[in-house]
Formats: sequence, C-alpha cells, structure tokens
Amino acid sequence: MPREGAAAEAGPDPAADPRTNIYLPRLAVVDRVVDEIADVRTLFWHFEDPEAQRAFRQFRPGQFAQVTVFGTGEFPASLPASPTEAETFFTVRQVGSCTAALHRLRAGDRFGVRGPYGNGFRMDDFAGQNLVFVAGGIGLIPLRSCILYALAHRSQYGRILVFYGAKTPRELMYRENLRSWEEAAGIECHLTVDQPGEGWTGHVGVVGGLFKKPGVQVPIENTTAFVCGPPVMFRFVIRDLTGMGLSPQRIYSTLERYMKCGVGKCGHCCIGVAYVCLDGPVFTCEQIQKLGEDI
Amino acid sequence: MRARILASHQIGRILERLRRDYEVFAPFQGRGRDTFFDRVTAENQDQVQLHLPNPYYPPKRYVLPHLERLMTMRREGAEWRIEPAPDVQPRAIFGIRSCDVAGIRHLDRFYLGRQFLDPYYARRRRGLFLVNVVCTDLERDINEECFCVCADTGPAAAEGFDLQLMDLGGELLVAAGSAAGEAFLADPMFQRGTPEHLERRREILERTRRSFRATTGWFSATVRYITRGDVLDATWTEVGHRCLECGGCTYVCPACTCFTVSDRPTASGEIERVRLWDACALNGFTRMAGGFNPRRAVHDRRNRRFFRKLAHYFIQRELSMACVGCGRCDAVCHGEVGMPSVIEMIRRATSKAISAPAAPAAAAAAQPEPGRKT
Repeated sequence: MPREGAAAEAGPDPAADPRTNIYLPRLAVVDRVVDEIADVRTLFWHFEDPEAQRAFRQFRPGQFAQVTVFGTGEFPASLPASPTEAETFFTVRQVGSCTAALHRLRAGDRFGVRGPYGNGFRMDDFAGQNLVFVAGGIGLIPLRSCILYALAHRSQYGRILVFYGAKTPRELMYRENLRSWEEAAGIECHLTVDQPGEGWTGHVGVVGGLFKKPGVQVPIENTTAFVCGPPVMFRFVIRDLTGMGLSPQRIYSTLERYMKCGVGKCGHCCIGVAYVCLDGPVFTCEQIQKLGEDI
Repeated sequence: MRARILASHQIGRILERLRRDYEVFAPFQGRGRDTFFDRVTAENQDQVQLHLPNPYYPPKRYVLPHLERLMTMRREGAEWRIEPAPDVQPRAIFGIRSCDVAGIRHLDRFYLGRQFLDPYYARRRRGLFLVNVVCTDLERDINEECFCVCADTGPAAAEGFDLQLMDLGGELLVAAGSAAGEAFLADPMFQRGTPEHLERRREILERTRRSFRATTGWFSATVRYITRGDVLDATWTEVGHRCLECGGCTYVCPACTCFTVSDRPTASGEIERVRLWDACALNGFTRMAGGFNPRRAVHDRRNRRFFRKLAHYFIQRELSMACVGCGRCDAVCHGEVGMPSVIEMIRRATSKAISAPAAPAAAAAAQPEPGRKT
C-alpha cells in the first residue's frame, strides 16, 4: 500500500463516504407487495435517491443484491426483474429471520439495499443460440430475469424454451408470466407438477419428463441451457441434458450460498477457487462440478 | 534502505516520539509464557521489552478488530438514517514481529485488492505505523512452533514495516521501510552506523536462521500437492478427526480474513451493525437459512482452510500464502492440526502415495481414491 508519511494520513475517510463505503446500504421504499405462492412474496421497490436508482438499474440478469431489514440483518437476494422491465422487485421465500422480517414489510416501509453484485448472465454471449430454461419450484426466480431479457431482445436468439415444474399447481410461480409464455409466439413453455389436482389438465411428473413429452423437441445443437431448482431436480436434469448430448460447458446455473458481504471479503461463499459473490453466482455446470461442493 | 543506530536502553525515546502522533500498542510480558499487546502509556512505557514470546492474540486486531462497529441505523419517523461508524485514530504497533508484518501485508492485498476496497480496513491501515522488531533472541523470541524461515517471512521482514529494529547487543540497528519511517529516522536521537554494524547484523541473522527447526521446510511440496488435488482423502479425514472445531486456529491467525456481520440493538435505541471474526472450522460457517449446509463434514471444512491458504491460485491472486509461519495455530491446537503439523502429515502421506506405484502389489492394496479436488 503506498504511503507517503503523515501527510497522506489526512484525507477523506473512505468509510464515511457512501460512494466508497461498499458496506453501506441505500434506503429503499416498498411500492407494493404481492403474494406469489405460499411463503413466497414479491416486493416491488425503488431507491429514495434517484441517483442510486439510476445506478442500480444498470444490473444484469442473474445478479443479486444485499437486502437489509432494519433490526434483523442483511441477506443476499436474486433480482428476478429484467433490466428491460420498468419495475424492480425481489421475490423471497420465508426461510429464516431476515426473510420473515422482509415479508412483514408493507407499502411505504423503508429497508436497505446495496448492489447489484455478482457476475450475472452475459446475455450477449448467447446471441444466435437456442435458449433452454429449466426451473423447479422457486428456481424460476433467478431465471425469470434472463427469460424476460431474452424475450425483450427476441431477434437476437434462436428458439426459446421454458420447462418449469412445481410440486402442485398452487406452487407454480409468476403465473401471469407463465400464462403469457404459454400463449405467446416465440417462446415454447412447458409446465408440469408432481401432484395434480385443482382441475390441473397439464403434464404430471418431474421436469425432466417434459423433455420426452410428445411434440417437444429439445434443441441440442447451438444451444445453451439454464437450470435452476432444488438439488435433486438439478442432478437429474443435468443428467438428462448431458445424456442428450449437451456439453456441461453449455449448461448454466446460479449458486446460492451463505453470504455476509457480497463483495468477496467475508469468506463465507468461497468454494474451491471461486467466491460465489464475485466469480458467480452464475457458473457453468462444468465449473460447478470442478468446485466440488453440493449445489 | 536507510539505517541508523540507537542505544538499546533508549527505546523509550522511540515510544515517546510515537506517542505524540499515535495511539501506540506494544507486547507486554504477563506471567509465564503469557504475553499480550496493550496500549503504551506514560505509566507502563518502561515495561516495554524488545525480546519476549510473540503474543498468541495477534496484532491483526488493530487493522481488523475482533469486533468492529460498521454503522448505526436509527429510525426518524417513517425514515431511517444510516451512519457509518467514525474512526480516524492513527495507531502505531511497536514490536510487531516479522511474521505479523507479513500478515498485515497479506491482509492489505486481500482487503484493498481485487474488485472492491474495504473502506474500514483502508482507513485503519492508512493511519497505521509499524515498528518491526527482528527476532534475534533464541531463548525468548523464537518458540518451538515458529517456522517463518519456511514461510519466507522472517526472521527479518524485507518489507511492509515503517521502521525495523534489530538488537545488535547493546545497540539497535534502526532501518526505515517507508517514507514515514525515513522521516522518523531524521530525528537527532539516531546516530550513523558503520560497516561493522552491518557485519554484526549479517552474523546475527545467520545464527538466528540456523536455530530454527528444519522439519517444516516443505511448504513448496505441500502447495503443489494441494493445488493439484494430490492430497489423499484419508489425510483430510485424519485432519478432520483430530480437529475439535474450536476455531482457535483462525482466531490467532494473522492472515485469516473471514468475518461475519450481525445487527443488534444498542442501549440508545439504535441498531448497530458489527462485524466480527468468523472461523471456517465452525459448523455454521456455511449453513444457509433453512438449514442446508453444503459443507457438513468437519474434514470438508478443514480441507477448506488449508486449500484457501495454500492453493497456488490464491497465492497468485494475493501474491503471498495466507500463512506467515508464526506457528500460533500449532501452539493453540489441541488436536495437533495446526499448519506445520498438517504440512508434515500431507507431505508424509502424499509423497508415499505418489512413490507407491513403484511397488504395484502394495500400491493396489493401499490405493486410495483419487485426490479430492476441493
């Protein structure tokens, strides 16, 4: 570290300035709250400071933010909104104390956000490719951004396919999006549930089963796949896709880890040679296998 | 590097001068082996010694406090106000050993490097003045567990200090390692040295180096084994069995960087966000909300610690190993799985396994699973 003696010791305190203090959350306001499925809630929000809002809106699909709920703590959350959409939001399942506290927030309440962090999906790298999205349960949250981004830049990509499964019809997320994807041209959306009911007439079974559904043809040539979901589903889908001939280098996923800082300092999310917060959370399946930890 | 001479009994003058500009900390002798860093005051200044065992609790805490307030959050009506905690106190550490100087160099590269700069570390570091004392007293300075010679950080630090003191016997050789150190050396208390002083320095360093245990000089082989994934699963399992999961090794490590963050209410009704040292040995280190823990087995976590410290990828990134050879982890470990012990375990087991294929029958019987890629 360059030091020029006592004279250099004076100068602005990097921790006092919000522009250089990477740990300082910015104040955000909840616009409205929408229940997605049981225990999962979406909060639309904006920054109080328009400058912070403008800077944040440069985020990429697949990035994440650190969310502070005052009095409880801070946690990482994916950004399910696409930067091509007007509104920013978090979709969060209630699993611990912080997420429970976030669920208690109402329109007008303040909370803290810093970010965006992480590598995100380099969507330009997939130009000209077929995109296959495979999600299970709340695994659709991080992929939603990517799907909407691709649809907003429809002409840049080949076929776009979405395979999405949940335990029950009630647990299918982002239903408005699902409906429009099922109806829209330019996207092939296939849904499945493990346990049908409530007038479900669609496919029943695991997500991987959709690949063999009559009328479905999963492209392998010139294709990139995005897989996100519970560990068991992940393992089987990867097996199916690689079995069909897709290289692990062409399959992407995002990793979730316990994180405190989001900026490569606290050490909690470091696996193998990677810091999930800096080098991820987006990794190829090949990279994940090399890192050698459970997903 | 400019060097000057000062009579040994005059270290008080250095302390006196430092205390004008800095809050000064130095190691003090407690009872028996116990030594500790404490603030130097007019009252205790004459108890500061040049030679004593390096305290187990490292001086890292003056740049990365064990517990540090980051900010406070206060409700004002519907609004919230977030204020970063102030701290602009310049500090000096007198008597920091070469291994700990290397520790701070390593922290510098970690906290101030890569994509993000840690503002709290940066401001503490900016105001920090380091007076390194070279370990030359074979009885008091150098312990059983010291292995700085193998980690290439000592006994005399080559860089990273502002001033370096070396006891030549009755006289101190005082060298400057920074512009601030040079400015300090301009003080008339220091005298010019002679070639004879430098000759004595060389002799003393030579004698000190020779006095170290030689058995831990296997860092480079271990770095290679760990980087390639050659270390046997059986070795990690053994390390895991011996680890008592106390986290002591990380708390005494001058190069460990991990912290956790916690929000808590203060007496005045605000919420303060603090960060505190964390340890990868602890079970909760990677446990996520909801209970999923990708790294459950204790040997997984132990393996992680040594991989993070010694894998070539990280050494390239930070330009130094996250081990400075102070030996504290070995001194505090009840399971004998501190760094020097583990290096020795890895070296023995791995070199045997690698040379084993020469005897096919025996190798087939003892063939372990392929090296674990961490």
